[in-house]
Amino acid sequence: MAPMAVKTFKVWLKVSLMSAQTQFLTNWAGLLFLVGKVVRFLLFFVFLFTVLSSSGTLAGYNREQVIFFFLVFNLVDIMVQFIFRGVYRFRSLVVSGDYDLDLLKPLPSFFRPLFGWSDILDFVTLIPLWIYVIWFIFNYHLFPSIGSLFLFFLLLINSLFLGFAFHLFVCAICVLTTEIDHLVWVYRDLTNMAKFPTDIYQKGIRYLLTFAIPVVVLITIPAKALLGLLSWQGVMLAFAISGLFFWGSFRLWRYALSQYSSASS
Amino acid sequence: MKILFVKFLPVKVSKYFQLAKITFEEYFVYRLNFFLWRFRSFILFLSLFFFWLAIYGQENNFLGYQKAQMLTYVVGIAFLRSLVLGTRTGDLAGQIRSGELTKLILKPLGVFSFCFVRDLADKFLNLFFVIFEVGLILLIFKFPFYLPKNPATYFFFVVLVTLAFFLYFLINLILSALAFWTEEIWATQWLFGVIFLQFFAGAFFPIDVLPAWLSRIIYLTPFPYLIFFPLKIWLEQLSAAMAVKAIFIGAFWLIFFYWLVSFLWQKGVKNYGAYGG
Repeated sequence: MAPMAVKTFKVWLKVSLMSAQTQFLTNWAGLLFLVGKVVRFLLFFVFLFTVLSSSGTLAGYNREQVIFFFLVFNLVDIMVQFIFRGVYRFRSLVVSGDYDLDLLKPLPSFFRPLFGWSDILDFVTLIPLWIYVIWFIFNYHLFPSIGSLFLFFLLLINSLFLGFAFHLFVCAICVLTTEIDHLVWVYRDLTNMAKFPTDIYQKGIRYLLTFAIPVVVLITIPAKALLGLLSWQGVMLAFAISGLFFWGSFRLWRYALSQYSSASS
Repeated sequence: MKILFVKFLPVKVSKYFQLAKITFEEYFVYRLNFFLWRFRSFILFLSLFFFWLAIYGQENNFLGYQKAQMLTYVVGIAFLRSLVLGTRTGDLAGQIRSGELTKLILKPLGVFSFCFVRDLADKFLNLFFVIFEVGLILLIFKFPFYLPKNPATYFFFVVLVTLAFFLYFLINLILSALAFWTEEIWATQWLFGVIFLQFFAGAFFPIDVLPAWLSRIIYLTPFPYLIFFPLKIWLEQLSAAMAVKAIFIGAFWLIFFYWLVSFLWQKGVKNYGAYGG
């Protein structure tokens, strides 16, 4: 198991390096994307800062706490995109039948669909974002204890596992239907709902966002953990939901593979 | 019956009618994709709606907007996103790069008319669904929807939305025409046609809630005339004189972009290589 993981990680590094080289070939497009990502972040940040400076609170959270939710959303969103960017290119592999070639390789079947492409621009934006988040946490003394900080990082790792499960689920649907152009974007839009504390939504929507499409576990729960607003039941629930999704996605993926018909070959 | 109806149309109209029909049919071939697209728009609407509900809480006034006005602005965003920002013209860039434009040029259709009719079909279909989606939310939450009191407001609103409708079409043509010179069309369209346009148009939140210095910069661009100013007119936050001024500035941008499209298109066609065509 461990040698396989190390080998897969080495292949991922190689693939990521190659995708970075491809992106540097079109450096003008890369620059435009980078500018867009930064502008989008800054404009939302300015908007939240301005609105919350006037209102003071949002659903009981103060300005710094709401901004922290926004920062955690960005962290998780960008990390997940950086790692699982391959999903955006998977459909063409399925439709063309080229995925057959990947199934012949001595790699996990989900490697190419999920890890087959890494966006270096996400990595570039992640570095300053992490620095800013850490500065923000310490500058505003957002965590009540070191335990909360530790739990935050632990739940962030849990978010990555959940992100993996989400993306594997999307890939499975892609194999089954080939109609997923918007499905991954639906996931993105749903995670966008957690840009703000999810307490702003009605109870029914909150339940949906916790149990059906758990963006609460993905973003809100790690943020609450750091703020010291999470009970131990909440922590257990987060791990349980991730575990369940992880298991469910693998089951669906295996089923989808059994139905894969190599569309165009 | 339908065939008879098309038969009686002049050929020039009938072919565009058929084009609109084919565009509709395309959406219904990829039904899941269309459903998911609508679902995405609905999610955006919901998150904005609940964000502002939470911000207002029990308050009625915030940042110069009454609660009903802000929630109406959010509903307005949903409508104008379909009516103004609904488009298929972005496909043109891909057709230029792939060489498929050649096929289009050879057809007895105008390229711009082709794009415009497909845009119309897209807008119509999205608008049809948005009425149901937003209507459902309005029924469930029963919040006070702001209706203008002055009849002239409706006139100003319709005029500016019509201008916005054409303005957005021209902006898209310009972004697509850049494909004559650059291969990196997706990045350009994303930065200018999605990020700048949607933020600066007020498609997420009213621009005037931002710091004054930033709003003033955004007002210098054509984007606020697509969503923000039409909705400011609807909410009766602009005087008649200001509404007329907004319409004139919108018309100026429209003329300018019309000229720019003609200029870029003439230059671009000379540069067209039909790669892969």
